[in-house]
Amino acid sequence: MEIPAVSVRNLTKIYPIPFRREKVVAVRDLSLEVAAGQVYGLLGPNGSGKSTTLKIVLGLVTATRGTTEIFGRDSSEVESREDVGFLPENPYFYKYLTGEEAIRFYGKICGLKRDYLEARIETLLDLVGLQDARHRRLGGYSKGMLQRIGIAQAMVQEPRLLVLDEPTAGVDPAGSREIRDMIVGLKARGITVLLCSHLLAQVQEICDRVGILARGVMVREGPLEDLISIENQTEVILQDATPELLKRIEALASEHHAKMLGSRRPQTTLERLFLEETEKK
Amino acid sequence: MRLAVLIFLVLGFGLLRLPLETGLEKAHQAAFFRTAKLDLSLRERIGQSNFIAALSGFRAPIADILWIQAHTAWEKTEYGVMARIFDNVTSLQPRNFYFWDNAAWHMAWNGSVFAFENPKQPRLAIRTKEQREFFDLGEDFLIRGIRNNPDSYQLRQTYALFLEQKRHDECGASEQYRLGMRLPGAPPYMERAVAIHLARCPGSEKVAYDQLRNLWLRSPEERKPTVITLIKALEKQLDIPEEQRIYKSDR
Amino acid sequence: MSTTPIKKRPFFSPARVWAIAGNTLTELVRLKVFYFLLLFALVIIGSSLFMIQFTFQQEFQVLKDASLGAMTIFTSLLAILATANLLPKDIEDRTLYTILAKPVPRFEYLVGKLLGVFLLLLISVVCMTVVFVIVLWLRQTTVLAQVQAEFSASPEDLAVKVREVRAAGLVPAIFQGVALIYLKACLLASLTLLVSTFATSAIFTTIVAVVVYFIGHLQSTAREYWLAGGNAGWATRVFTALISLIFPDLQLFNLVDDIVAGNAVVLSLFLKTCGLGCLYIIFYTLAAQFIFVKKEL
Repeated sequence: MEIPAVSVRNLTKIYPIPFRREKVVAVRDLSLEVAAGQVYGLLGPNGSGKSTTLKIVLGLVTATRGTTEIFGRDSSEVESREDVGFLPENPYFYKYLTGEEAIRFYGKICGLKRDYLEARIETLLDLVGLQDARHRRLGGYSKGMLQRIGIAQAMVQEPRLLVLDEPTAGVDPAGSREIRDMIVGLKARGITVLLCSHLLAQVQEICDRVGILARGVMVREGPLEDLISIENQTEVILQDATPELLKRIEALASEHHAKMLGSRRPQTTLERLFLEETEKK
Repeated sequence: MRLAVLIFLVLGFGLLRLPLETGLEKAHQAAFFRTAKLDLSLRERIGQSNFIAALSGFRAPIADILWIQAHTAWEKTEYGVMARIFDNVTSLQPRNFYFWDNAAWHMAWNGSVFAFENPKQPRLAIRTKEQREFFDLGEDFLIRGIRNNPDSYQLRQTYALFLEQKRHDECGASEQYRLGMRLPGAPPYMERAVAIHLARCPGSEKVAYDQLRNLWLRSPEERKPTVITLIKALEKQLDIPEEQRIYKSDR
Repeated sequence: MSTTPIKKRPFFSPARVWAIAGNTLTELVRLKVFYFLLLFALVIIGSSLFMIQFTFQQEFQVLKDASLGAMTIFTSLLAILATANLLPKDIEDRTLYTILAKPVPRFEYLVGKLLGVFLLLLISVVCMTVVFVIVLWLRQTTVLAQVQAEFSASPEDLAVKVREVRAAGLVPAIFQGVALIYLKACLLASLTLLVSTFATSAIFTTIVAVVVYFIGHLQSTAREYWLAGGNAGWATRVFTALISLIFPDLQLFNLVDDIVAGNAVVLSLFLKTCGLGCLYIIFYTLAAQFIFVKKEL
């Protein structure tokens, strides 16, 4: 059986409040698994424990109880991070570095050999579409460009797991689309992605599996399709259907103790409309 | 919890380094470092901000600033103010021979002349008394300076000059040159000066002659006009036998 | 499966530390306060040339005291200010997460950051020392020429005067004093780093470090008072004991005043003083790691 990319078992994290007796339970008895090659969405409102869970998985915070593993290695060990790339929420990086220098810096601290690192920089700049901005300082980058350079640094050592915290937050729709496409491309290459996002529509487009946290507890978890399907409803899409045909279908449904809830024209999304209109120019 | 452990670690490290620091401090003081005593009396004399600056490792620049103030006071002939400032400067920098030397010069030479020629003081007796007070002040700086800088030939030299010119004590001057001539960096003429002043010290003429003779025989470099003059005079005065004289009587 | 040609991760990676140090140096060199302080120090050193003309001993002494004093202030301030904001800035910008999410042990991160500050201090000290040496050498050369002209008739007097000028001017012991100034600044930097690992803000860290700086210069007095015993009450003895044990003795590194006054430091004493300074730096760095390794980020 393949080792899961991320394995969280009975994770609990309690933060004591200084000078007070009560404590904050950020995560309570959480268990989840992210299979290798999957895109997993960790969702939840603010303060639900998403970031805390990610930080424990990355070894930035210590668990009070429970275990977390990355590809079978305890995530508190430094070695486990050889397989991980992380993009935090709203990162700033070092403003005075150019895009190329930033990737080079992260490559050096990963211990990449020089020739390989230089080749890798070229590959990553192509992947994230920042070749033209490679010599510009990060202080002059837009939000979308910073997110893309963030993905590049996360991938510099070719990790098997990418952890992305709000990867499209604050990015315009075009940039957001590019990032989402990038994630889909990474999945096609077998890279596991664990992401947190508030933008549910985007999560719905790319995730294979989601977990929903509320107040530190996992309230729903499973394959996306299963979670969002309404079990007792079926969607049928017809082209060129006349009002008479729709009446006959409704009558047929009644005969078989089913009910037609409604009929309407499918809608495009506001995002698709925006992109179509802006890319025309 | 970690912070509590850290406090214990810091205290433990403090205990570990205690003998090292104490030993190193003693070694520094034995090598004449950190001999300045920055106590509360100094704080009252130089003011709080100067004291804090001195405590914070800026002892030397504060001393320099005060010394420049002393120079300004000298330009205004405020010798009383100067004496106070020099006291503070030498407290801050006891290992700087130059401050002691400079203070002694200002007091024993400049101050004494100023006091003796003070046009505002008509009475000679008072002017002479004040002159001697300045001599005493200057001598005090030299004695304390030598105590703090036993390796300084310059202070011995200045003290010798003081004894010669202000106290008219040739014997004392010779002794100071003798004490200074073996100190590091002492110029060769100090050894000559020992003998030269000894020659003027009543009762020591024979010892002086022997020393001058040895110098003369040692090297042509030592045969300075003063040495030659004194040898001739002492050979005559001491009635040295002709065959033992360097300069025969008919020369 | 990743086939990235990564070097096998050693127990301690100097290359990784050096990468972090170089990055830290680049970041700090861009601080405006660095240029302001450096300019200030260089102005003080250079302006000594234009001071009132005293005797050469007076002039050289004021030049050395002003220059080395400026160097002391500058390096001490820079050590504290540059280090106090290292961790808070990385945490606030979340760059710390991107670094520690890589296979970078926290100790290497800390050492790399501290090494970057040490490099900044070294560059500053070298710049200031070069300017100071040039100024002093120029003045010494001028004075020697004047002395040659004045005492040319008497070789013995000339030799004495030349020796006096050289003894008052540029002597090798000055560089020992500069080394101790640098060492003290590095000690302050490592101590500031320790405080920043548990402090809540950069301002708090700066204030604590400045307080430690001043109390550190009184530590030897407190230690002397504590160990001497005497009639002091138990509260005073406990207080002086705590001062002695908690704070570093910064007076140990203030030898430059006496060096300028003409006191040379023998090599063994210099090495012992440096050794104790290094011991402080190592302890504060390890203590910083002790706190930082378990710090919740």
